[in-house]
Amino acid sequence: MTLDGWIIAGMVVGIASTVVCLVAAIMKKKPNDVTLLSLAAVELFIVVYAIASGVRLLGAESLAGEAWEFWGYMFTAAMLPVAGFYWAMMERTHWSNYVMSAVGITVVVMLARMAQIWYGMATPVSALQPGIGL
Amino acid sequence: MKTSNTANTGDSSTDSTPHGRTSGAGRLLITVYAVFAISATARAGFQIATAFADAPVAYLLSAFAAVVYIVATVALAKPGAGWAKVASAAICVELVGVLVVGALSVFDPAAFPHATVWSMFGKGYGYIPLLLPIIGLIWLYRHRDEK
Repeated sequence: MTLDGWIIAGMVVGIASTVVCLVAAIMKKKPNDVTLLSLAAVELFIVVYAIASGVRLLGAESLAGEAWEFWGYMFTAAMLPVAGFYWAMMERTHWSNYVMSAVGITVVVMLARMAQIWYGMATPVSALQPGIGL
Repeated sequence: MKTSNTANTGDSSTDSTPHGRTSGAGRLLITVYAVFAISATARAGFQIATAFADAPVAYLLSAFAAVVYIVATVALAKPGAGWAKVASAAICVELVGVLVVGALSVFDPAAFPHATVWSMFGKGYGYIPLLLPIIGLIWLYRHRDEK
């Protein structure tokens, strides 16, 4: 996996959001502006990354892997903060922050997988990658 | 679910923590199950669509795991004693699956060259696939008397 600026930026935003939400949850805070904005920052990053990726792919760059797999990850990653927000807000307790803390780290793992699709993997057969698709 | 939030407004008191099966920590459990359900489904779909002939057994197992996670997620999220039983059954299947596949992949790696979510007891996922059913069953047991 090649780490480019996009992935590093995404990891910083995602991990920061997870840490912020976790700390708030451990302090037994209900969701507040800080934790909700951290989730919004993750969503904003994905939107920017999606538009930029589209521009790059329309230009000179190309994907090493499957386009529909890449955009499938992009779509799912974009839905996660929305779903996390909805699920957390249905019941506003400090547990909502734990729920939201799961979003950032999941997006980070998905970004790592998207970087593999973009640049190709060290091992030739991506389908043999262990696991469930994160 | 809102009704489980009583008049107690303090958010540091343990009394303010909702106690329903689908509330509080239960919502976090459902979230983690949902993440696994979505990703397992996507992964299995991709494996079967692109490389099914390479390892039909492993990829069917991935698909089976995906179905188990989906059933468990839905059943955990639905209130009612009936759904609690469905959730218990799905999570038991999940636990047996991760133990059997995990053990086989450790003792007979040649039989499982193509990894699934349950290979090596879910080592690739921080052993979450092994911990999740145990935590799920404990959660359901603690909420066993709820209607």
